[in-house]
Amino acid sequence: MFLHNFKYELLSSLRTKDMIFWLMIFPIILGTLFKIAFADIYEKTTAFSSIPTAVVEVQENEIFHSVIETLEEEEDPLLSVTYTDEEDALKLLQSGEVEGIIYLDGTLSLTVAEEGMEETILKSFVEQYTVQNKIIIDTAASAQDPTQAKAVIAALSEEISTCTDIPLTDGNPDNMVQYFYNLIAMVALYGAITGLHVTINAQANLSALGARKTCSPTPKSVSLTAGLLGSYLIQTLCMVICVTFIAFILKVNLGSRLPLVYLAAILGGITGVSLGFFVGALNLFRVELKMGISIAVIMLLCFLSGLMVGNMKAIIAQKMPWFNKINPAAVISDSFYCLNIDSGYDRFIQKIITMLIISVTFTALGVLVTRRKKYASL
Amino acid sequence: MQVFNAFIKVLKKKLPGSIIYVVVFLVIAFPMAMNTANDVDIFEADRLSICIFDEDDTKESRALSACIGKNHDLVELENNRNAITDALYYETVDYVLIINKGYSKRLADTQEQKLFSSYHMHDSYGTVFMEQFLNEYVSAVRAHIAGGAELFAAIQSTEEALSQETKVTYANFLHDDTNTDYPTNFSYFFQYMPYILISVLMHSLCPVLLAMNRKDIRFRTNCSSVKPNAYMVQIFAGSTFFIIGIWTIFIIAGLFMYGGLYQGKAWLAVLNSFLFALVSAAITIFISSFEPSQNFINLMTQVIGLGMSFLCGIFVPQSLLGDGVLAAARFLPAYWYVRANDMLAGKEVYDGTQFAAFLAIEAAFAVVLALLTLLIRRLKYSGANLLKVRF
Repeated sequence: MFLHNFKYELLSSLRTKDMIFWLMIFPIILGTLFKIAFADIYEKTTAFSSIPTAVVEVQENEIFHSVIETLEEEEDPLLSVTYTDEEDALKLLQSGEVEGIIYLDGTLSLTVAEEGMEETILKSFVEQYTVQNKIIIDTAASAQDPTQAKAVIAALSEEISTCTDIPLTDGNPDNMVQYFYNLIAMVALYGAITGLHVTINAQANLSALGARKTCSPTPKSVSLTAGLLGSYLIQTLCMVICVTFIAFILKVNLGSRLPLVYLAAILGGITGVSLGFFVGALNLFRVELKMGISIAVIMLLCFLSGLMVGNMKAIIAQKMPWFNKINPAAVISDSFYCLNIDSGYDRFIQKIITMLIISVTFTALGVLVTRRKKYASL
Repeated sequence: MQVFNAFIKVLKKKLPGSIIYVVVFLVIAFPMAMNTANDVDIFEADRLSICIFDEDDTKESRALSACIGKNHDLVELENNRNAITDALYYETVDYVLIINKGYSKRLADTQEQKLFSSYHMHDSYGTVFMEQFLNEYVSAVRAHIAGGAELFAAIQSTEEALSQETKVTYANFLHDDTNTDYPTNFSYFFQYMPYILISVLMHSLCPVLLAMNRKDIRFRTNCSSVKPNAYMVQIFAGSTFFIIGIWTIFIIAGLFMYGGLYQGKAWLAVLNSFLFALVSAAITIFISSFEPSQNFINLMTQVIGLGMSFLCGIFVPQSLLGDGVLAAARFLPAYWYVRANDMLAGKEVYDGTQFAAFLAIEAAFAVVLALLTLLIRRLKYSGANLLKVRF
């Protein structure tokens, strides 16, 4: 009897168009759009690359030339310089091919098209040159010993590196990937739709199928267990499709521990199903309303986890850090983040345990609400 | 008016969903658009969020922290690797600097090694900028020491030298004075509007058109005394009433965000949005002419709404999208809407002829979609097809 129920739970789930759409097609569409839109953002806005700059020499400046040559010999040069006349420089600036124009006259001046980090670095570069000139002039004027002036120039000319980097991660630092973490979390929580169907199909006051099941000789424990396990299996399939599509078709770098990403995604899916199972068991609303409320709540949880606004989770972490620890969407997406960024497993295990606790709690509550229900009249 | 009344009656049932879309959009748009601080002429350098762990804690190290704090925002973080990693990953902090113990002594001895450490996530612009600043700072202090100054005097002279600012000018092709009519922040309100217009119209209008076009209702209407042309005019009037109603709500809400009656270029943005409302309506009527199921409408709403928003630069600026994406986006109306809006907001050089061309392309999309809809309806509901349905 268990296998019979289990088989038909699988079949009916696979024939539910809502489920196919929200759990399989929608994530594929959204994932593809994320990939198209976010593919170049990290490279263009966050990761450093040489700043294209036009230089207009109103007056020839040998020292500046040598500074630029030295700069360009470096492995990752600060600037990528094009020497040109003013007219062409403005054309380059207008078309966005350069970020700014440095004018070499008696002094250095800068023209930009907009504000931004690249422009700020250019300003700082021009100022650095001006500051060094001022220091040389000031110290030369005040120095009593002529060798001091030479020492000043030597100190300013020396290439120094004052800062040692402490690497934080070997993972993928591209924070645009967190949109995909949240997408997987959203699919996992949409498992609530399958979970809802389990209780709706088991309760006589909610569906005709439920009424038929209630008067059948199959014990409720058997049909509910079969329904739940069938939903877990279907959700697992959806999660595997989702992660595979993101990792192998869209080729998003989810880190080096992909098997654990699958594990976390599957567990997230089970959390989603459990959530839906509990909401479905409540005797509070109509079926359509339950479905609407579930999707709205899931979207809100995903919004607070950063599905629509990338740094929302960080904002919540500053204002209400406790909420990220209990928001299932944040917990699921954090598990992927921890796998990618952390070298150890401490935080990942915490997230997995949280997912297990949420799943067990909602399943137990769902069973408690559903058990021993009798229908004298419908 | 019977068809029109029936249309409005069905529409009323679909309104709650639309109202949710409209309210959520306005709630999100208000704070964005109200922040209209617009600085046209004065260049302001980006301020980084920097966390400093001062392990040296001497007057020299405190002087450096204060010097950094003049141009950047100093933030506090828990000195814990996970907290630092999270802050750098989510960019709540741009740079985490450690002033190493023994900093002042090494600086006095003009040693450059082990002065600072920084937690490193990746080579970002912020990291490069700060490392450049720290090297410049130390270099300047060493130069002053080489010139015979004492350590603290050298630090003070360095701070004085660093406080000079280079004047940065804007190339005048983007920053003209007329841009004050349509501030950049306010332009985001119009930038996001296409997503909401498409979502609301497809979510509400499609089911209404489908209901009015349901086989049994269509047959009943066909055999009634209402002439086909009168029927179409009333359906068209009902749709127009709804489209203009929704669009007017946005435009009136925009007046509050703008702080009064629209001026200059803002009126062109209103015209641009009106044309896009027509395009959205044309898309909706075109989709509904295929008589799709509710599931298919849901799918198409997401595909068209999100697809156009991501591909055409509504959610992500066009300047950040790849060339291939933009080449494909040219075949979508929202691309031209965003180009026009960017031009008004000063992100592109304003050219009246080009702007008019963008509007003409949007209008052309609406006209082509309307013609296609008429063609499909003619093919679908021609006498032969109706007979097929009857038998």
